[in-house]
Formats: sequence, structure tokens, C-alpha cells
Amino acid sequence: MDPQLTSQIVPAEEIKVIEECLVRLAEDTGGNYVLLLDKSGQVITAQGDAARQDITALGALIAGTFASSREVAKLLREKDFRQLFTQGVRENIFISLIEDQWILCIIFNKGTHIGLVKVLTKKATDDLSVVLERVREQQKARDDVLGSSFRTSMEDTIDLLFRD
Amino acid sequence: MALINVAAREIHCKIVYYGPGMSGKTSNLQYIHSQVPKEAKGELLSIATETERTLFFDFLPLDLGKVRGFQTRFHLYTVPGQVLYERTRVAVLSGADGVVFVADSQKHKLEENIRSLRELAVNITRQNKRFQDFPVVLQYNKRDVPGALPVATLDKYLNTLGWQRFEATATSGAGVFDTLKAISKLVISKL
Repeated sequence: MDPQLTSQIVPAEEIKVIEECLVRLAEDTGGNYVLLLDKSGQVITAQGDAARQDITALGALIAGTFASSREVAKLLREKDFRQLFTQGVRENIFISLIEDQWILCIIFNKGTHIGLVKVLTKKATDDLSVVLERVREQQKARDDVLGSSFRTSMEDTIDLLFRD
Repeated sequence: MALINVAAREIHCKIVYYGPGMSGKTSNLQYIHSQVPKEAKGELLSIATETERTLFFDFLPLDLGKVRGFQTRFHLYTVPGQVLYERTRVAVLSGADGVVFVADSQKHKLEENIRSLRELAVNITRQNKRFQDFPVVLQYNKRDVPGALPVATLDKYLNTLGWQRFEATATSGAGVFDTLKAISKLVISKL
């Protein structure tokens, strides 16, 4: 089957590894919030300021920004832009691509130096690349989650919810 | 690509509404947003120009609740339809699990529909996916407009791959949920 049509399953133990990596990045940089997204805009996991709202919309917008920058890169005959930095009045955002599949995003304030964020994000990106590689190979859990009874239940839910 | 987070017991799928400018993609999302129960939807986010034409995308997260222990979420996006925004459409399509192609039934829009559909095929193929196998549902919108092309004519030019297709009037909601149900089930069947 076309690999792009299959789902990406992130097992519980890998989520734990990812969370530890994000916590370490937030602590070492003093960043306020760290997110790991799939390039489709879905939030894999997030760490930091729990009061932050609208994580879902944030994920969609950040992934949109990144996808948009990829198209800009093509127009400039650049391979791609692997990092994006957005500077705000109170907070800044640094975004880094992991192997064309995941997006690591850190939100930090004036108390954190961008140089430190860049260096430590690079290290986190390397660590997460290894996790991504393992996740890509992990397909055997798929049938445990997506059995035929799951699909039937899903269809019933769709019928129940999506109606005028 | 659908994302399954086993630790959080969550499944996320991305569905994109594609089609020429003013065909009613945003209207589809607005109607869905107005009808889905509050607990099942997030805010409808629109990045539009001052004249309310879509500039980047609209975004509507839907939460179907727990299905066999898994929190299941569909994220609906629209693309900007105007020809100018071709590269933006590529960006929004990134990682999509399924597409609703919203065609405008008006006679003078047929050529635009055909061009937009061809562009979709190119863009899906560029993501290394086989367009013939990619989950697509067709919606013939604006069926209420006088002089709308017959369904058979639209089928002949737009539905050469034999997709499921629905007649709709997105502003009043006719056909909107039939389309959404069809694409959701199709996406789930391909997970």
C-alpha cells in the first residue's frame, strides 16, 4: 500500500520518550511551551504552560505557516527552510522541521536567548529523528487499534453526529 | 496522514475542501459549524481577506467523542479557491487524508471546475500519492441556481473516476452532511 495512505501510529512508550525530550527542551531553554506537530497540523504532544488555549488551532496555523514556507523555498529554488523564527513583543516562536514529517515548535519570552534555543532545538531535533524512525517502522499495533469493529463503531458515530 | 496517539488514545484525520473560487467551500464549513453540537466542535478559524474571500484556509476541528476508547477528531480545512493562490493550496493539502471537491454547478463555471480538479490531481500526485486511490468525494454545489448544469453533464466532465457524489446547496445546508459523512467514512476505511 502507498505508505502515505497509511496512518502513523505513535505508541505509548514513544510518546513518553517524546514528552521527556520536550520537557528537557523547555527546562533547559526556559521556554514557556513546546509542541510537537505532524506536518498535517495535528498536535502529537505538548508540554509547558497548561493554561494555554486553542492548541488545536495553534497546531493548524503553525503547520500551515511551515507548509507555506516550503512553497516559498521552491519558488526561490531553495531545498527547504528547515527553521523559522517569529519574533513578537512578548513571546517568540522558533520552529524546526524533523525529517519532513514532524515539526518541533518552542515558544519562549525575552528571558531566553535565541542562540540557546537554536542549539538545544538542534539537539532535540536529532533525538526526535531517531524516535520518528522507530515510529515509521512501527505498524504492527495498527490492527490492534483499527479492527473491523472499530470501523463499524466509527461509522455509527458518524451517522449519529453528522446530521442536520 | 492520520495520526494515532496510543498514549493519549486519540485519532486525528485531516479532510480538505478543495475547488474553484466561490464554489462554496467555506459555506460548507460554516453550515457544519452551525449545526454540530457545541461539545463536538471547536472554533471555526478563518484566514480571509477584508472582502471575506479565503486567503489561506478555514479550519474547523470536530470531535466525534470516544469510539471504542479512542478520542476521534476530524480536522476540516478549506483551500483558497482563486487561481492566484495555487501554491497556498499545495500548502494546505499537505498531509490530507481525504478531499471533498466542491464543484460549482453553474454553466459558466464548468471550465474552472475542470481546471481546479486537474490541479488537485497534480498536487496529490506531487505528494507521492496515487490520485486514483486517494479518498475523494465530489459535491455539486449551487443546485438551487437557475440554469445549473444537469448532473449527468457534470458527471461526464468531473466524475471520470466514479467517486461518490452529492448534490448540494451549501448555503441552506442541503447535501452538506451527506458529503461530510461520505468522506469521513471513506477516510476511516483507508486508515
